[in-house]
Amino acid sequence: MNQGEVVIETRGLTKTYQNGPTPVHALRGVDFTARRGELLVILGQSGSGKSTFLNILGGIDRPSSGAVIFEGQDIAGLGDQALTRYRRDHVGFVFQFYNLVPSLTALENVALVTEIAARPMRPEEALEIVGLSARSGHFPAQLSGGEQQRVAIARAIAKRPELLFCDEPTGALDSATGILVLEALEQANRSTGATTLIITHNAAIQQIADRTLRFADGRIVDEVMNTERKRPDQVSW
Amino acid sequence: MVIPPLRRKALRDLRRLWAQALAIALVLAAGVATLILGSGAHRALTETRDRYYADYRFADLSTDLVRAPLSLVDDIRAIDGVLQAEPRIVKPGRPDIEGMAEPASVLLVTVPQADGLNRLHLRTGRLPEPGMADEAVVSQDFAGAHGLQQGSQLAVVMNGKRRLLSITGIALSPEFIYAIGPGEMMPDPHRFGIVWLQRDTLEQAFDLEGAFSNLVLRLVPGIPENRVIEEVDRLTAAYGGSGATGRAEQTSHAFLDAELEQLGAMFRVLPPIFLLVAAMLVHMTLSRLIMLEREQIGLLKAIGYRSSQIAQHYLEFVGLIAVCGILLGFAAGAWLGAGLAQLYARFFSFPFLHFGTDLRVYGLAAIVTLAAAMAGALQSLRGVLSLTPAVAMAPPAPADFRHSSRGVIALVPLRQTGRMVARHLLHWPFRTASSIFGMAMAVAILVASLWSFGSIEHMIRVTFNLAERQDVKMVFAAPEPMRALADLRSMPGVLKAEPFRLVPARLTNGNRSKRLAIEGRPADARLSRSLSPDLKPMPMPQDGLIISEALADSLALRPGDLVEVDFLAGRRASVSIPISGISVGYVGLGASMDIAALGRVTGEGPIISGANILLDEADQSAFLAAANAAPATGFLNVTDLTVSRFRATLAENITLMITVYVTLAAIIALGVVYNFSRIALSEQGRELASLRVLGFTRTEAASVILLELAVVVLLAQPLGWLIGHGIGRAMVAAFSSDLYRVPFVMGRRVYATASLIVIAAALLSALVVKGRIDRLDLIAVLKTRE
Repeated sequence: MNQGEVVIETRGLTKTYQNGPTPVHALRGVDFTARRGELLVILGQSGSGKSTFLNILGGIDRPSSGAVIFEGQDIAGLGDQALTRYRRDHVGFVFQFYNLVPSLTALENVALVTEIAARPMRPEEALEIVGLSARSGHFPAQLSGGEQQRVAIARAIAKRPELLFCDEPTGALDSATGILVLEALEQANRSTGATTLIITHNAAIQQIADRTLRFADGRIVDEVMNTERKRPDQVSW
Repeated sequence: MVIPPLRRKALRDLRRLWAQALAIALVLAAGVATLILGSGAHRALTETRDRYYADYRFADLSTDLVRAPLSLVDDIRAIDGVLQAEPRIVKPGRPDIEGMAEPASVLLVTVPQADGLNRLHLRTGRLPEPGMADEAVVSQDFAGAHGLQQGSQLAVVMNGKRRLLSITGIALSPEFIYAIGPGEMMPDPHRFGIVWLQRDTLEQAFDLEGAFSNLVLRLVPGIPENRVIEEVDRLTAAYGGSGATGRAEQTSHAFLDAELEQLGAMFRVLPPIFLLVAAMLVHMTLSRLIMLEREQIGLLKAIGYRSSQIAQHYLEFVGLIAVCGILLGFAAGAWLGAGLAQLYARFFSFPFLHFGTDLRVYGLAAIVTLAAAMAGALQSLRGVLSLTPAVAMAPPAPADFRHSSRGVIALVPLRQTGRMVARHLLHWPFRTASSIFGMAMAVAILVASLWSFGSIEHMIRVTFNLAERQDVKMVFAAPEPMRALADLRSMPGVLKAEPFRLVPARLTNGNRSKRLAIEGRPADARLSRSLSPDLKPMPMPQDGLIISEALADSLALRPGDLVEVDFLAGRRASVSIPISGISVGYVGLGASMDIAALGRVTGEGPIISGANILLDEADQSAFLAAANAAPATGFLNVTDLTVSRFRATLAENITLMITVYVTLAAIIALGVVYNFSRIALSEQGRELASLRVLGFTRTEAASVILLELAVVVLLAQPLGWLIGHGIGRAMVAAFSSDLYRVPFVMGRRVYATASLIVIAAALLSALVVKGRIDRLDLIAVLKTRE
């Protein structure tokens, strides 16, 4: 897996923003590479810069300096339209609080993306990957937290993204539900071949990854290759 | 002074939500302003008129006669109920003003006595001195239009003789607040004025020594007018009395009355609309605010605040908005009121115009407005205050769309964003409906005001292009034999001249009765014609009467009915005449018949009152000069002048009113759209951010809210047209009087213009909201729990 082609890499990535009068250095020169189909877990304390890193990779934030190279093109300097295009065609996002559209059913939430994507799968197929075919006609208010997160995963992968970014996907869930969500993510990673980055506080989750990065103080301070990925149901916390 | 924390919060909320608060305050202000303006102007006009009438002894009744001996006045005074009777000489005259080509006329009136009726309010100068036969007082507007001052000279042709008068004063009279020339539609001070002269002067000029031609009376208050009128008519019949009329039929009074009626009608409709929309906006906005602050409310309750204290906090917040609205409304109402007063001052000749501040109106406006805002607030507070602190502090369950017509909407082939829009609109049916209603009211206000343009053009087209097609109407000073027509035809430029005869008459059907002039026309008249409701010329029937719609309504007559006609001239015949048809007519009450038949029933034979004339345009000025000089000429109405004056006067008034209406409608439209979209944005900000992250462009994401807005705005259009149509119809009914009827002409252009204005206001609001959507902080929105 690690020998696959590089999908995205960063060089000397920094991000500084103003918090009142004091500048905050969220990223202090991050060099990073991810290969096609890789599943990475990013660990780190709050404020370590991991979310900022993910947001920049996902094209919803811009770095102060450095390069973000996706399939050979630097996206760091792209304008709003090009970044929108990048997100639309290549990036899937999963957030801690699901961010489903409450007025759309599970299937319609997925279809929201497939309608605008270049080469999407059928929404039903995406729901099947996360094991929610039976709930496709339900609105978010009728779904449990875990189910909502799985719909969010289905929505994220339905466009067949090259990159799947998950920011604390299990943060709001109990462990049993969290495992279901991780299974869905792993299944998504396998079936779509999307390079998957999962941000978490939860160190146990690193066992399902190919590689684990640890962020502290705006830098990658540790990198561990997993020789053997565990299945999510073998993990507990 | 220590401000309690909750009050400080109310002030800060107001600052934070200033744009939405301002939008609501403006709608409230519009309601307050229209209330103050409307009732203020109505009151000012009524009070001014009443005071003027009382102070200057405006007569209750008046009657014209051909010639009656002064001794008759004693008999009149003896009638039960007559307080005062004053004989006058009132005759038409023609001013001979150098350089004035268009025809003008003046009304020559005996100067009232010091203790008499219809006293003059002298603006400058003095009344004519006894024995000074050439001294005269002139009405203010006419003097102004011709630059006449005390000491100026004015030549007037009286009864065919030119006489040079010396002006001793400029005056106003309660009798001529609205001074409209004979045969004209609007006052034109350039072409019509009043000249008051000594009785002796008029006696000599019109051979009326020891006699009079007009009588004004004051009645004992509370006496039924009709009984006195009957007696007066009986006593004056032998002297050519043309029937006494009360104030209701006195031209100046009737016009003023119609104006008051219109003003009242208009301002009974507008303020409730604004207050209703404002209450709805308060409800919408506060409901959302409370929803967002649900946890804070729970917390306040948990730490021991009573529900009433929390309610008071939100009511204070709404109260602050209402107070801003009320103050803005006071200011706008007073400002617009002053503007309206000036307009009236220009239009009506009052010696004073009292636009006082009636604190009761202000108080009422404030109370009603506060009540409307509070009603909206209480409605939205009810739900939250009933929650226990624990429930309130927990985040609300996500909106459940299960019941929002999932089935139907799922079946409709829509994009998902379209589904979002449809479900949102259906999920909050009250909000959607009230926003649609609010927008509809903005459209309705415009429809109900804009139609008047088309209506006026229609009125002009029907009256002057189809019915009255003559270039000039010449009315003789006194009826002439038919052969006068031959002389007329020989005047320069006359292409065609058709005679007419006007005979004053009283038409009675049961207990309904109207006094008017029946017009006799040739059966085949081509110039002045009666028009059927489908605007086709109606041939004059052999012996029946064609009456205008207004008269038919007023007397409850239909074709085929018989109407009692008492002619008030000549042999004063009383006959029953069948109604042959109903004609369209917008000005005054009309009744016409074949001129020969009229001559037969009155027993007068072939005499005429004047002629309708078609002119060769090239010779118009030659004709007018000749007609002015002809001794038989009473007065001339030049159609072009009448129409342009009509247009100019209405244009001025209507432009002002339309400006006010457009502003008011725009305020509603902006208020509703802005609040609606801000609330939608506050609710859906998270969803929009999600869409952006999913790869939707700014425009695609914004389109969800903008589409929702568009649906509301579009659905509001037909409803607004319908409501506006209804208001327009009601206005037509309210404005219709014996003086004029307003044709109801509601075309597609009116609807389109109203909609375009409202849509433009909506777009403006939408742009502001779009800007906010564009600036959404994606990361911040998505990282927070709702």
